[in-house]
Amino acid sequence: MDKLSITNLSKTYDNGVKALDAISLEISKGMFGLLGPNGAGKSTLMRTLATLQEPDEGTVTLGSYNVLRQKDDVRTILGYLPQQFGLYPRVSAETLLNHLAVLKGITHKKERKEIVKALLQKTNLYDVRRQNLGGFSGGMKQRFGIAQALLNNPKLLIVDEPTAGLDPAERNRFYNLLSELGENTVVILSTHIVDDVKELCTDMAIINKGKVLKKGNPLKLIAQLEGKVYQKTIQKNELATYKRLYNVISVKFFQGEPIIHIICDEHPNNDFISIKADLEHVYFSQIHYNSQLT
Amino acid sequence: MWYEIFKFEIKYRLKRADTYIFFVFLFLFSIVGVDFVFEGIDLGQVKKNSPLVIAKTMGVITGVFMMLASMIMGVPVLRDFQYQMESFLFINPIKKSDYLGGRFLGSFTILLFIFTGVLFGMALGEFMPWHNPQEYLSFSILPYLRTFLVVSLPILFFGAALFFVGGTLSRKLVVVYTQGIIFFMWFMMTKAIENEFLQSVLDPFSLTTLSYVTESWAVAERNLRLIPLTGALLYNKLFWIVLGLLSLFIGYRKFHFNVLKNSRKKKKGVFEKSYAISNVTIEIPAVSITQDVKTTLIQFLHLVWFHFRGITKQASFWAIVICGMLIILVNSISLGTVYGVNSYPATYFIVEELQETSIYFFIIILVFFSAELLWKEREAKIDLISDVTPVSDFVNLASKYAALLSVYFVLMVSLILSGVIFQTVNGYYNYEFKVYLFGFFLEIFPFLALYTLLAFFVHVAVNKKFVGILVVVALFILNIALGIFGFDHDLYFFGGNSLGKYSDMNGYGHFLKPYLFVKTYWTLFGILLLVLSSLICARGMETGFLKRIKLSKNRVSRRLLKFGVVIFCLFLTVGAYIFYNTNVLNKYWSNSEASEFRASYEKKLKPFEYVVQPKIVVVNLKMELYPETRDYILEGHYILKNTNDQPIKEIHLQKAIEDNIELQNVFFEGGATLDDEYVDFDYYKYVLNKPLQVGATVKMSFKQTYITKGFDLGNGGTRMIQNGTFLDNESFPTLGYKRDYELQDEDEREAYGLSSREGKAKRDDEKQLVNARTGSDSDGIDFEIVLGTSIDQTAIAPGNLVSTWVEANRNYFHYKMDTSMINFYSIVSARYQVLKDTYTTVQDGQKHPIDLEIFYHEGHGYNLDRMMESMKYSFAYYTANFGPYPYKQMRIMEFPRYAEFAQSFPTAVPFSEALGFVLDIDDEKDVDMAFYITAHELAHQWWGLQVEAANVQGRNMVLETLAQYSATMVLQQKYSKEKIEQFLAHERVKYDEGKRKDKNEETSLALVEGQEYIYYRKGAINMFALQKAIGEEKVNLALRRFIADWNTKDGLLKSKTKCYATTKDLLRYFKEVTPEHKKHIISDLFETIGLKNQ
Repeated sequence: MDKLSITNLSKTYDNGVKALDAISLEISKGMFGLLGPNGAGKSTLMRTLATLQEPDEGTVTLGSYNVLRQKDDVRTILGYLPQQFGLYPRVSAETLLNHLAVLKGITHKKERKEIVKALLQKTNLYDVRRQNLGGFSGGMKQRFGIAQALLNNPKLLIVDEPTAGLDPAERNRFYNLLSELGENTVVILSTHIVDDVKELCTDMAIINKGKVLKKGNPLKLIAQLEGKVYQKTIQKNELATYKRLYNVISVKFFQGEPIIHIICDEHPNNDFISIKADLEHVYFSQIHYNSQLT
Repeated sequence: MWYEIFKFEIKYRLKRADTYIFFVFLFLFSIVGVDFVFEGIDLGQVKKNSPLVIAKTMGVITGVFMMLASMIMGVPVLRDFQYQMESFLFINPIKKSDYLGGRFLGSFTILLFIFTGVLFGMALGEFMPWHNPQEYLSFSILPYLRTFLVVSLPILFFGAALFFVGGTLSRKLVVVYTQGIIFFMWFMMTKAIENEFLQSVLDPFSLTTLSYVTESWAVAERNLRLIPLTGALLYNKLFWIVLGLLSLFIGYRKFHFNVLKNSRKKKKGVFEKSYAISNVTIEIPAVSITQDVKTTLIQFLHLVWFHFRGITKQASFWAIVICGMLIILVNSISLGTVYGVNSYPATYFIVEELQETSIYFFIIILVFFSAELLWKEREAKIDLISDVTPVSDFVNLASKYAALLSVYFVLMVSLILSGVIFQTVNGYYNYEFKVYLFGFFLEIFPFLALYTLLAFFVHVAVNKKFVGILVVVALFILNIALGIFGFDHDLYFFGGNSLGKYSDMNGYGHFLKPYLFVKTYWTLFGILLLVLSSLICARGMETGFLKRIKLSKNRVSRRLLKFGVVIFCLFLTVGAYIFYNTNVLNKYWSNSEASEFRASYEKKLKPFEYVVQPKIVVVNLKMELYPETRDYILEGHYILKNTNDQPIKEIHLQKAIEDNIELQNVFFEGGATLDDEYVDFDYYKYVLNKPLQVGATVKMSFKQTYITKGFDLGNGGTRMIQNGTFLDNESFPTLGYKRDYELQDEDEREAYGLSSREGKAKRDDEKQLVNARTGSDSDGIDFEIVLGTSIDQTAIAPGNLVSTWVEANRNYFHYKMDTSMINFYSIVSARYQVLKDTYTTVQDGQKHPIDLEIFYHEGHGYNLDRMMESMKYSFAYYTANFGPYPYKQMRIMEFPRYAEFAQSFPTAVPFSEALGFVLDIDDEKDVDMAFYITAHELAHQWWGLQVEAANVQGRNMVLETLAQYSATMVLQQKYSKEKIEQFLAHERVKYDEGKRKDKNEETSLALVEGQEYIYYRKGAINMFALQKAIGEEKVNLALRRFIADWNTKDGLLKSKTKCYATTKDLLRYFKEVTPEHKKHIISDLFETIGLKNQ
């Protein structure tokens, strides 16, 4: 029950887009971060894991369950927070949470009442539990989404861009909650905020264009780049030249001047200064490298 | 700027498949539009593409498919909110008028495009090969175009404005649908408005308006004149256009570009509170997740309630309920009307009225709410959350289904409530809740339940909301069309046929059992559909149809599979049982088989039409009726006499062509052999061992059984029933070819290679002058019968009741007529109450008492006194003015309302439950129709039973017109002149209506054939005019002489000529008593087509 194995998962959409391209991953208990740019295939992968989508090929197993076949069994232990969702506007938070609890199979009335109450408190929605969801702000809605994902003590929790719309305080609280859960749950978190992954996840993968580019422990991945990242502030008109000469992984602007980061096995001199490697560099180096190939 | 938005809207719509699907749908439907709208309506001589017909058809189609307007016009602004585009849109510097104007005009243009499908479809419809070119004028596009502009466009504009504003302001589709329902209700309500002009102006689809403005048009005008945009029609159109503009104006004023609707205040409060709480550590408690049957049940019940509340919480739902209740109160004003007289608000009338009006809005609710429910999660975009819960798809669908059924339930209960209120207000307290419950939950509910299942399946399969709605509607229409074309075997006609009529006397009778079986069969089918739906419904991201089919095999759970297999086996079993009943125990005739049979009957047997046959002179029968099982056994004999001038070798015996009837043990005195060449037609040719000599008689004994086996289709047989059996000798063995079995429909005749069927014979047709009716096999009989029936019923036949007894727990009645009567007798049996009286007339200077009896159903005693009084008035008037009454009794027997007529047999008048027994007659404002109808039927004891008319043109003037005259005179004995005028005015209205609908040319009364509006309506009016012109006494004198000369029994001229009377004879008596200078009146009234204007 505690290991999710994804083998050779592929999916091509009708319009020819290859969203998943032979993805294989082993995910154990704990927080797993999924990094990738928009359109990388993250959501497709997560929806497939959440029993909502059919791959063309490949298998997914969770413990002894075949996720692609034994959907209803998987659903009993699955929590899912989609990237985008809506709520019935004319129903109260408490009613809808209770409703979803029944759908999840929590038929014991007292248990249901307790968990609904606990989750409403946990997500700071208890005081507004009688309000109609139509009046909720984006953050409140998101918190409600989190609450519903936790209703059934999930063994597999899939959260797709969960912190969008949350203010920093709420975001922190949410991550604390996830870390708590990560102790005995497989939590898959997709995000494009690199820092989140570094702070939270014990394991991660970077995917782009349907392929896994890199996987591993974030800190170990950073360590691999240690001493290879250099930075330099340059002139705008030099950018093209530098891009040709060096392995430029990112360009940032500071007060109108471009700052470039490059990866180089040896010190490139030429006024570059060595900086501490970060997960961001791992990410950009992969995305950059990958896009150069194609 | 508005033009940009306008263009955007049009481009957007043109890219969507919906637009074209709607267009094609309307186009295809409109091709058969006229056929559909005017199905079963006799247009008379008005052509099928006359401007008026086009206008009415377009009005109906526009009205029915106004829902397309709601689907197109409700969404343009709503869509921006649904796709959360509003923030992007509203921050741009768009003017409100540009935004709304562009959106409205863009969608409205598309709507008009879609509705041109009606225009083109109808125009193309003219050229469909199944049409008879004689029913059409030469083609012209002009009437179509003009009608579209005059009739459809204004109301489309109003609908568009209404739905656009509704959708824009509420941002909820349900509100738009509710508007649609209320709009439709409005249409229904206008039907109850009594002021015709007002009704014409307010009718949104201008159907009554069109009737109103063309009311006085003659046939030629109807065919030629374009619909004039003047008078009521103009006001109607202006009214609706102004109302449309008004709603646009309101919409413009009320619309604001705020992104969040009225929630700013509320939200602030929410925010503050949520921040007030600090983050405390809370343990998430452990829960147990179950997946067993009990879980399923709990989930199911929870979901039913959840969805049910989802609908009933909305104000729009209650708007529908209140509308439904109100419309009944408005519409139930006229119930069971007979000649302008209403009936008591008996529950079954109320129920029928409720059913009739509510079915439309039930269908609207079905169509839209099933779509709303099935798309509920996806429209709220909560589907990704709910789809990953382990609740089964079957429970999901089944719970939505049950929720919708609960909604129907609530609506029905409120309708029943409104019915009860209506009854109470009208001072009627016999509520009969059983009839209410049955009427709704037995008749309408299963129909809705089954169609809802079909709708669910369609939506799941199509998986596109609006297209789904359209397919559901298309299936509705298709099923109706199938029914019309006769493809209505219960085993493949979806949902099965409707339950037979309820009658106070017979309840639902024998209709109930097959109905329940058929409904069970379809319910099982429906459950299979639901199971199938649950396997292919979209869940998650896979929405392609083929993909869903492919995935369905993974979705079959063991439990569902078992369930499905069990249901499937039950379905097959019940289906097999129904098939065994309808097609094995009983013979199933498809329409074409029946026509084929009739055609070959005519081809084979027509040569025998005038084959010389003896006449039946004695009928002596013993009949055992078994009402409970709907069987009878008839035994006895006829005595046949050769009244011709040549010996007879063959007797041609025709058994009634009905599968339940068997004829056995036919035995001729002296022996005969059966020539079985025609037995397929139940036509038995017996060759007598010894030919029947001129003037000689032969006794023919036989046994006929009627055995009901299982059940058949189409509510088989409403004559031999559990309570209220009414049979006549038409279904007993008759002699010779039966013209009634011939195909009547001219098109069908042509298809089977038969020549056009000749109408009534000419007045000088010698072959028919000796016949009193088609295929007559008797000139009068001695009649005797013993009837046995169940212990609680009374069985009645003509004649003196010689004796009654009880034997083997059955009632027996022995009737014997002590004088000769015509060969026309009824047999009735029911649980009767009886009201008795006696009336003594003086005939030939002697007292002649007549026993008067009314056999009626318990509780139907309202008008017995009127009927009894009418009998007395009638006997007084008729015996004084026409001649003696030959019998000693007169009986009126109530029979169930499956048929609405009364009919006169010797000493007996079976009288329909629907006709006079439950009329609520207000002597202030109504004509006493119970009195009148009774008098009319009693007049037939002279006209029809004493004088029979020859089976030629004008026959019905002798029989019916004289009965109308007689009854009017009796009415005049009791009631004021004003009442007579009121009655005649009503006859005039019916005459006009009948004339308008008549396909054939109007004939004079003297040559009338089958046209009721002539021999009943014009007959009553012209006879009244005659007696006014020459005096009642003179008319009666003529009639007295006529009866003396032409009565069947001993009429002087009748015996001399051996012919029956014609109008030629009758008019001679009228002329005789008319002074020379007034003689032209006779020909004016009866020999030309003129109608006497009062």
